[in-house]
Amino acid sequence: MSRVRLQGLTRRFGSVTAVDDVWLDVADGELLVLLGPSGCGKSTLLRMIAGLLPPTAGRVLLDDTDVTTVPPQRRDVAMVFQSYALYPHLSVAGNIGFPLRARRRSRADIRRKVTEVAGALDLSALLDRKPRELSGGQRQRVALGRALVRDPGAFLMDEPLSNLDARLRATTRAEIAELHRALGATIVYVTHDQVEAMTMATRVAVLDQGRVEQAGTPAEVYDEPASVFVATFLGAPAMNIVPATVVATDGGLTVRATDLDLPLGIDATTPGRDVLLGVRPEHLTLTGEPGIRAVVTAVENLGGDEVAHCRAGTHTLAVRGPRPLRLAAGDRVGLTARPEHLHLFDPGTGGRLVWRTADIATPERNFA
Amino acid sequence: MVTGTFEVVTRPVSRTVPAVRLSGWHRLRRGIVPYAYLAPAVALLVVWTYQPLAQTAYLSFHSWNLVPTSPMAAVGTANYERLLTTGELGEAVWHTVEVIAGMLPFTVAIPVVVALLVRRIRGRAQAVYRALVFAPMLVAPVAGAAVWQWLLDPSAGAVNRVLGTDLNWLNTTSTAQLSLIVITGWHVVGFAVLVVWAGMTGINPDYGDAARVDGATPGQVTRWVTLPLLSPTLAFLGLMTVLLSAQWTFPLIDTLTQGGPVGATTNVYYLLWELGFRSHDAGLAAAAGVLFFVGFIVVAALLTRLADRLTHHDD
Ligand SMILES: Nc1ncnc2c1ncn2[C@@H]1O[C@H](COP(=O)(O)OP(=O)(O)OP(=O)(O)O)[C@@H](O)[C@H]1O
Ligand SMILES: [Mg+2]
Repeated sequence: MSRVRLQGLTRRFGSVTAVDDVWLDVADGELLVLLGPSGCGKSTLLRMIAGLLPPTAGRVLLDDTDVTTVPPQRRDVAMVFQSYALYPHLSVAGNIGFPLRARRRSRADIRRKVTEVAGALDLSALLDRKPRELSGGQRQRVALGRALVRDPGAFLMDEPLSNLDARLRATTRAEIAELHRALGATIVYVTHDQVEAMTMATRVAVLDQGRVEQAGTPAEVYDEPASVFVATFLGAPAMNIVPATVVATDGGLTVRATDLDLPLGIDATTPGRDVLLGVRPEHLTLTGEPGIRAVVTAVENLGGDEVAHCRAGTHTLAVRGPRPLRLAAGDRVGLTARPEHLHLFDPGTGGRLVWRTADIATPERNFA
Repeated sequence: MVTGTFEVVTRPVSRTVPAVRLSGWHRLRRGIVPYAYLAPAVALLVVWTYQPLAQTAYLSFHSWNLVPTSPMAAVGTANYERLLTTGELGEAVWHTVEVIAGMLPFTVAIPVVVALLVRRIRGRAQAVYRALVFAPMLVAPVAGAAVWQWLLDPSAGAVNRVLGTDLNWLNTTSTAQLSLIVITGWHVVGFAVLVVWAGMTGINPDYGDAARVDGATPGQVTRWVTLPLLSPTLAFLGLMTVLLSAQWTFPLIDTLTQGGPVGATTNVYYLLWELGFRSHDAGLAAAAGVLFFVGFIVVAALLTRLADRLTHHDD
C-alpha cells in the first residue's frame, strides 16, 4: 500500500476551475474521504489521481514517485466508478479477472484469484452471470471485486454507494470500512453523503468549488469547522448561522443580535466587531432564562428526535432534541447554548474566528 | 384486582377492488387507435411493396414480353425450370458473393481502423478528416462512374500511369469485378465510417477508462472493450453489406461494364434487369425476382440470428 500526495493539483475546463490548488497527503493505510456538494470537483480530483485526466497544474505522487505524467495503466491504483463501469459483455468472473488478464497472468492463476475474491464478496454463485443480470448491490460488489483482485497501491472510490438503497448502503458501508481495516488499504473515497464521511473516514477533506475548505478527522471537521461552508455542510439540520456582534460587557464578552444575548465565557474586553454566530441545533437547549427569545413556528418529528423551527428576531433557528420536546407552533421559548458550543465566523471571508489574548504567553483558546 | 389479556392490534383489512371495466364502445376505440396510426404507413407499403410483389409472383408463372397489347400466357413453373437449368443464375449468384466479400473490407475493416485513428485526433482537425472521408458519398454514382472510367482508361488513364501497368481494367474478365468493387467501396466507405463513428460515440467512455485503470494497454482496450461493445454496429454493417452490396454496384455496372466482359460482372440484380428489360422476358425476370427475394429473406434471417448470438449489448 502506498502513500498518495497531491501537490497544488489544479484542473481548469475553459473558464471553469474544477479543482483549485489542492494539497493533500494521504498516509499509507488511511481512508481519506473527499466530501463536498455536487459539482465541487470530487470526481475530477479522483480522475487526476487515477491518471485519466491530466492536471492543468500541480503534481501527483505515489509513495515517492512523481506519477503526474504516467498513464493510468502504469499507475498502481484501482478505481471503483460511480457508474461501476462493469464490462457489459463479460461475465462476473471476466470482470473481476480483467485486471489480471491485462497483466498477462496465467489462466489458472486468474481463476484461483477470482474464486478467492468472489468468495470473500459472496459472489461465488454469480460468476457466470452478465452484469445486466445483477442487482445494484451485486454490481457494486463486482466493481469492488475488480479492484480487490489486484493488490493496488491505493483504492479510489467514486461514490460507490450512491446507487444503493438505504439499507444496502449501511451494510456495504460497514463492509468497506471492515475491508479497510483488514487490508490496511490506502483509500481515497469520494462522497457527498456526510454520514458515509463521518462513519468511515480516518480523515475528511471538505471541498467547495474545487478548493479544500478543511481537512481533518471527522470529529475535528464537525466540532471545529474551519468555515461557514464546512459548518453548514456537515450536520442535519444544518448549523444555525446568525449575523451578530461581539461586545464587551461587565461579565465578559457577549455575542448579541435581536432577541439574542449569549455569553462567550471569555473574561476580557475587545473592540466590538461583527461576526457570524454558529450554533448546532442539538446544542440549543430550552431554558427559562432567556439567552435567546424565540417563537416556535413548526415542529418536525424525526422518530427519535424532534426539530423545532423557531424565529428569533429576523432569524430562524432549528432546535433539535429528544422526542417529545413538548413544543407546539406559537409557543414562546427561551433558548441557550454553552459557550463552548458557540462558533464565531468572520462575516467577510466566512473563516473561523479563534480568541487570542493580547498576552503573548497565553496560548490561543478555541471555541469548542 | 383487575384482569385483562393482550390483544393483537387490528390491521387495516384489505378488500379486493373490482377492476375498472371499459364499455364495449370504449374498448373498441382503444383497440382501433394503434391501427389508425399505422394505417398510412401500411397503405404505402401495400401499394409500393406488397402489391408489386404479389404481381411479380403472379407474373413469374406467365410468359409475357412487356408489350401491353400482347397477351400473357400461363406457363406454370416453366420460367423457374428455365432459370434453374441454364447456368446464368448460378454464375450471377457467385458474382454477387464475390461483390459482398470484396465489399466487406470497405464497409467493416477500413471504417473501424479509420474511426479508431480519427478518434485520436482532437478538435477541429477531426471534423475536417471526417468530412474528407465522407465526401465520396455525396458524389452521384453515375458522375463518379464517369470520372473513374476516365481514370481507368487503358491508354491515357491515371491509374495505369501511377501503377505503371498496361491493363484494360474494365474490359478484362479478371479485373473488371475488382475495379467495380474498389469504386463502390470508395463510394460507401465514408458512410460506413460515419456509422462506426456513431457506434463508438454511443459507448460509455467509463468502460475504456475503467480498462485503462485496470491496467489494459491501448491495444488491449481496443480489442477487449471497444470492439466487443461495437459488435452490434459491425453486425449491422455486415448485414447491410450482404443485403445491399449488389444494389450499390448496379449503377456502376450499368454505366461502366453493362455486366460484361462476358458476364463477369453480372450479379443477381443486373441479371434480373437484363432478363426483364433487355430480353423483354417479363416472366423469367419475375421468377428470378421471386427467387432472389426468398433467398435474401433466408440470408437476412440467418444473419440476424447469428448477429444476436455473437454481439454484446450495452444496457
Ligand atoms: N469534461 C468537462 N468539461 C467541462 N467541465 C467539466 C468537465 N468535467 C467536469 N466539469 C466541471 O467541473 C466541475 C466539477 O465536476 P466534477 O464532476 O468533478 O464534480 P463532482 O464533485 O464529482 O460532482 P458530483 O457529486 O455531481 O459527481 C463541474 O462544475 C463540472 O461542470
Ligand atoms: Mg462525481
